[in-house]
Amino acid sequence: MLMETFYAFIIGSLVVLALNRFPRIAAVVAIAVSLLPLFALIYWAPLVGLTLPSYLSLLRFETEISYALGPGTILLQITPLGWFFLFLLATTFPLVLLFASSFVRDNAGGFYASMLLTMLGSFGVLLARDMLTFFIFWEIMSWSILALVLRGHDRRAIVSYLAFGSLSAMLLLFGFMILYYKTGTFLFGEMALEATPLTLAGISMIVAGFAVKGALMPLHVWAPHVYSRSEEPFVAFLSGGLSKLGYFGMILFMYGVATVPFFATWGTFRGVPYFGYALAVIGAFTAFAGTVLAIMQDDLRKLLAYSSIGQLGYVAIGIGIGTPLALTGALFQALNHTFFKAVLFLAAGAVYYRTGRWKISELGGLGYKMPFTFLAALFAIFALASIPITSGFAAKWLLYEAAIEQGFLFVTPIMLIAGVGAFLYAYKILYGVFLGEPRHDVREAPLSQLVAMWILVLPLVVFLVFPGWVLDITSPILQEYGMQPVAHTPYVITTNLAAYNTIAVILALIGTLFLALILYKWKPQKVVPHEDNYLAGEPPENYEYISMHAASNYYEPFEDVFGGIFRKGAERGWEIVLAGAEFLSNGARRIYTGLTEDYSIYILLFFLVLVGWWLLW
Amino acid sequence: MVIEIIEKILLLSGMVALGFIIGMFFNGFARKVTARIHNRVGPPIYQGYLDVFKLFAKKTNISHGWIFDLAALFSVAGIALAFLFLPVAGISLLSTEGDLFLILYLLAIPALGFALGAGASGNPNAAVGIMRALMLMLAYELPLVMVIVAMMVHYNTTSLATLVQMQSNFKWALFVPQFFIGAIIVDMALQGMLMEKPFDIAIAPHEIASGPMVEFGGKHLGALMLYKMMAIVVETTLFVDLFLGGGVVLSVEQYGWIAYLVNFLVWFALITFVFFLALLINAVFPRFRIEQALKFYWKYDALAALLLLIWVYAGVSI
Repeated sequence: MLMETFYAFIIGSLVVLALNRFPRIAAVVAIAVSLLPLFALIYWAPLVGLTLPSYLSLLRFETEISYALGPGTILLQITPLGWFFLFLLATTFPLVLLFASSFVRDNAGGFYASMLLTMLGSFGVLLARDMLTFFIFWEIMSWSILALVLRGHDRRAIVSYLAFGSLSAMLLLFGFMILYYKTGTFLFGEMALEATPLTLAGISMIVAGFAVKGALMPLHVWAPHVYSRSEEPFVAFLSGGLSKLGYFGMILFMYGVATVPFFATWGTFRGVPYFGYALAVIGAFTAFAGTVLAIMQDDLRKLLAYSSIGQLGYVAIGIGIGTPLALTGALFQALNHTFFKAVLFLAAGAVYYRTGRWKISELGGLGYKMPFTFLAALFAIFALASIPITSGFAAKWLLYEAAIEQGFLFVTPIMLIAGVGAFLYAYKILYGVFLGEPRHDVREAPLSQLVAMWILVLPLVVFLVFPGWVLDITSPILQEYGMQPVAHTPYVITTNLAAYNTIAVILALIGTLFLALILYKWKPQKVVPHEDNYLAGEPPENYEYISMHAASNYYEPFEDVFGGIFRKGAERGWEIVLAGAEFLSNGARRIYTGLTEDYSIYILLFFLVLVGWWLLW
Repeated sequence: MVIEIIEKILLLSGMVALGFIIGMFFNGFARKVTARIHNRVGPPIYQGYLDVFKLFAKKTNISHGWIFDLAALFSVAGIALAFLFLPVAGISLLSTEGDLFLILYLLAIPALGFALGAGASGNPNAAVGIMRALMLMLAYELPLVMVIVAMMVHYNTTSLATLVQMQSNFKWALFVPQFFIGAIIVDMALQGMLMEKPFDIAIAPHEIASGPMVEFGGKHLGALMLYKMMAIVVETTLFVDLFLGGGVVLSVEQYGWIAYLVNFLVWFALITFVFFLALLINAVFPRFRIEQALKFYWKYDALAALLLLIWVYAGVSI
């Protein structure tokens, strides 16, 4: 059924394109097709040690396939790592399409067709057994993302995505060619890398190529533009699902193809290879700078985009440190990020759907108007800020433990302070959009949008109680790379340094909440409207014209301190690179004067050089 | 088994009650000390109890809706939760079930819950106050986490209970030269954590009408006062656990129940002393502006913490 899945995706995308004029039917077809990877996921569950009831696996999927396509062969195989990332993508994808069924209005067929193609590409990337298959599917995914970015009609987004997308493709292609040149095989399983500078350069290029997709600084420039100018269901999938493929590739090439001893030949720092350490430092910088930039945004989508960049920085830190604890933390953080960021982008979409506004300073007081959207977003924000009442904390905790275990004195404080910074922008979303003065008379979001958001909240709650279940499915990945899994039971994670018992936290919280509730319910209360509040002795005379919502320039003192350093820093850097490239190209252009005599002199010079070489050698 | 669970629940509720009682005492104590420094008579030392009971006994309680009510619930529940995860006088209630990172993040539950309710009140003063409180948090957390990370790497543990154990027999972290400096840095951060002057920017009664608390009255204000009072106990206990051995002077194995009593008294004396220091600074300083606080912490305090990190880095090899 594996090849048939790919055909189903291709045929499905053609069908939805044909159904362009009937968006509802197109949505149904797209969702039906999008469930296929989910069935594959369920069928392959025994691979990671899960036993699911057999009635769930309706369709059978091969675990390994080689399929002749023209002159080449497509080699596919499911691995525990692929399964883990497929879990993130396949669960998010149908829900995102469900959300889109009420959100996307114009040219819906084109939207669903491109979305199906991105999922087709991702599915292939996750299953690829060799570099060629990987690259083909990677490009299918990248180009269908471009089709979706084009729908935003924003020049900056399109150009930056194209530029960085092709940079990424070039880096990957060069890296793959170097690896092929040195090993003589495309297959991941058969590559035995020698520790030479050339292979290290190849691996570095590949990792840099993936860093573009994962939006690591300074290669993140495309992300804020694309995230803030495309449709929300797509952005939710891009940030939640597709950006993880970059980190999938990083883990695959750093720990599957190359290994820790490979990197360790160039020396280690506190037990971590320099290469990994550099990645961890870049990740920490990304986490911090992404957070600072997110605090300064007023556009809801830009805020979420920078927050996404910052949170994915943590994943890079985990991959860089590369101990079992750190890798588990990175995978867990990737999982959490998938769900909470998808919920947040969808909630932003729902808010836009009802109010038609993106600016935080123009929104406000929606918490009472859209309570279910608010609650879903609140859970996601708790996970984002890693408050220990969602699963968000377990991932960060694993990463902190991993960093302390290796004695990282300078990376850990940056990680921690970026975590505190997350509270700031989290509260900006909460206050600016959902709390404060009610300014829009709107209804709750449509049912399809609510269902999509709330199903995505579920994993955050489940893995809060049982973080061990995530560790269960990451353990086979670590075993495959010859590492010891992290010691755990369903609700206790134990490291060399400390233990974390989620049940104790939850039961204690329930207990203290109960105490607080008794205190609180002691006396009755009266609810009064928002207009009736204390204004420091200065009641405004004509209330209707004065905004009581203090959300514009919310963190102004913060911007006074940090604005100068961080705002547009990366883009200015790239502009300098661009100016340099332009200068060099202009210099090169001078060679082409268009005069015949100049060209004849060039030919003569070339000939003389050749002859001279021949004579001297 | 059942009796054990009931025992545990009773012990934990007793600790929470004790925390609230000490917190309310601290409120009156603070007002008395400040008054004496200002050469006033001041309210009686049990004023904190009177205030809280009065507020909870009010007949009319004004709310702005269910999100507003979350503040009262989450601030009280969250701070009690954080207290349970701290080792108090060497007794590890739940502190073996989590570690310092967990405590740092648990401290965010009451803060965010409080912020949620304050934001829901729809008063601009509250929003400005929360903005200042969050920025202050960002400011003081940097030096704080730098010192804490240095201690974690030095002692090779992240568990606070283990840290307290390692400091028994008066091997306090305060007597290690690096962490003597660390204690000074964290004490400065503690001043911001306790929101005492010069860092009472978020409350600033004369500028923004008590900031976040402006809309709260009756039982809501009572709950928030409980939270603020308990927060004093939690934060000073955190300091005492980190640097002063958690107040453990006698070993329980050797002296039995007398050890518990003495340890409790020592712990109480130590947190009172730490709070007293903060009050002395509070009584004589004017207020910073928020960006001045940010610059103070990130320039001077964090720079000192950076030097500390380099010191510890030179001393530790893994």
